[in-house]
Amino acid sequence: MIDITILLQIIWTGLAASTYAVLFAVAFSLVLKVVKVWNFAQAGIMALSFYVMYAAHSKLGLLLLPSVGIGLAATIAASVFMDTYGLQTLRARNSPNLTFFIFTLVVSEFLAYLLAMIFGTEPVALTQSIMSGVTIVNGIVISHWDLQALAVTVALLALLYFFIARTRDGQFMAAVADNPDLSRLYGINVKRAYVITFVIAAVLITAGMYLFGTRAAMIPNTPMQMMLFAVISTLLGGMGRIFGAALAAIGLSLIQGLSIFVIPSQWQGLILYVFLFVTILFFPQGVSLQKFRQLTRLGSK
Amino acid sequence: MKPSNRRSLLTLSALIISGAAISPAAWAQAKETLKFGLAMPLSGSQALYGADQVKAAQWAVADINAKGGVNGKPLEMILLDTQADPQVGINAVKRLTSVDKVPVFITAWSAVVKAVAPIANRDKALELSVGANSPEIAKLGDYVYTTFPLAEVDVSALAKYTYTTLGKKTAAVMYINNDSGVEGAAIYKTVFEKAGGKIVAYEAYDTKATEFTGALLKVRVANPEMIHIHGLVSDLPQVIAQMRQLGLKQRVSTYSAGYNPKVIEQLGAAAEGLIVTSLAPGATDNANVGAFVTRWKDTEKRVPNGLPYTQYLYDGPYLVAELYKWVEKNKLPATGENMRKALTTVKNFELPMTGALQVGDDHRVAKPVYLLTVDKGQFVPLATIK
Repeated sequence: MIDITILLQIIWTGLAASTYAVLFAVAFSLVLKVVKVWNFAQAGIMALSFYVMYAAHSKLGLLLLPSVGIGLAATIAASVFMDTYGLQTLRARNSPNLTFFIFTLVVSEFLAYLLAMIFGTEPVALTQSIMSGVTIVNGIVISHWDLQALAVTVALLALLYFFIARTRDGQFMAAVADNPDLSRLYGINVKRAYVITFVIAAVLITAGMYLFGTRAAMIPNTPMQMMLFAVISTLLGGMGRIFGAALAAIGLSLIQGLSIFVIPSQWQGLILYVFLFVTILFFPQGVSLQKFRQLTRLGSK
Repeated sequence: MKPSNRRSLLTLSALIISGAAISPAAWAQAKETLKFGLAMPLSGSQALYGADQVKAAQWAVADINAKGGVNGKPLEMILLDTQADPQVGINAVKRLTSVDKVPVFITAWSAVVKAVAPIANRDKALELSVGANSPEIAKLGDYVYTTFPLAEVDVSALAKYTYTTLGKKTAAVMYINNDSGVEGAAIYKTVFEKAGGKIVAYEAYDTKATEFTGALLKVRVANPEMIHIHGLVSDLPQVIAQMRQLGLKQRVSTYSAGYNPKVIEQLGAAAEGLIVTSLAPGATDNANVGAFVTRWKDTEKRVPNGLPYTQYLYDGPYLVAELYKWVEKNKLPATGENMRKALTTVKNFELPMTGALQVGDDHRVAKPVYLLTVDKGQFVPLATIK
């Protein structure tokens, strides 16, 4: 018999813990949608964002908020630099997709090694203490971090929705995502759209790393695993559906948490790979009701 | 100045310069040296710890040689990088035994110790594992010995202490799903149950997990008197933080990985009462340790990463010196076979940083276990189990 308090606790904690995963998934999905690049460099950029905030706060003794500001500036600079001097160069050469893939992976590994060289491989958290105050509501433990994480994530996703739906730059991004060549013919500055995409991704990444870093310690290689979660969410949510990726990240996180009722906790990580396998095989365009119906019909024949 | 005088002056200068250029190290090289190998991670993810352990060994060699070496012969340490990677370790040790022909070498990190064991056995070179703690190390062959107590020593002592001295009758075990976690948790469970206690929850977590709520809620339902966590310094604070947030107030214990100031730093008051183990004496148990820490602070402006491990590494060359002393005393050639003979014959050694070392026939060592607890934000001695 499943205890309802335990069930609700897992759902609540899973929801709160999914927040940074949602931000990383949306950043990854957004770049894929607009720039059409599987940006595996995101892991390296995530690590860079974290360590710049960490250096500003823990090494230089700055307050947390200015440290986050410095982290954000560095993340934007690194993302735009990579796009301008890396991806645009490859694009100008009409490089094949494989080159982009290798390039982004190399950037990620390079940054991870560089950060390990500078900061070492001892796990570090953004703040000295990773403890957070708690409030108990009907037996459910709600930490202050949970509330902060949910508030930050909801606010950023709402802003993103507003930006894409209501601003001119957002609409240009959507147009470039749809057809960059046609957009260029209509006078849209495609390079600017790419830069804005990377700036937005940098904001989401910095917010995500801030949330993660105030809850857990990490080493320069940690973001690689987190990015894998983002990739799976993007695939599940459907390529080009950035809010679909966000929903997939929440779903995955909850399924992982709830799986404790059916499998030993050490195998919770395995669920990610099962989903990756199933998605690539049966839902290459993402999970949709239509596809479900197709598969069910095939099964009943 | 006359040309002849100038020539004399030049000759004299050249002599002085060449004399000055021959450093004590060069003099030592000119003499017969007593070689041994040190294969440690100097690069890669474990370099932070490896570099400090190497520094400790280098200090020991310098200290031994400053006091005349072994019967006037200096020790020569050949240092190679393993990156804590088994394959790189194999290449390093192959070089040590085949090219440098060392009769004895020191290495660490369980995966490397295991991977290079066949080379030590094949080439009959004595392998001293200093710092690795996998229980399997005792079964790696005739030429593989450890100077570091294996995992069962401190975890067994801790489990017994928890039941008998702390009087805890039920415990939960949470462990990371890797070699060290699985083995450590199994040892704790076996010993605690053998002592008469009951393990009411036994939960593993993924090596990459950052969210432990599910497993912790299972532990909460089991309501143990004590919780033992066998994890790494990267996940241990998170597990304890989430545990406290979920309202679990039980006392927590862990093994030597938890003996790290970072754990207290990240947990603050939530770390109070945490019990950790150490296999090396502290400054209150051994005066040399205080001087050793001061040396770190004076020269490196910090304390070493993993102090107990650096203590063992400092003692490594002293042990090698003792082996050479025995071989020379018995007028035997310095071969791996004779080094092994020295180790198994002498058996008892008194080492500067970690004290008495007794090498058993079962390839294990007997050492006291030091238990520490967090009190007012500091690790303080709790008990010494001999």
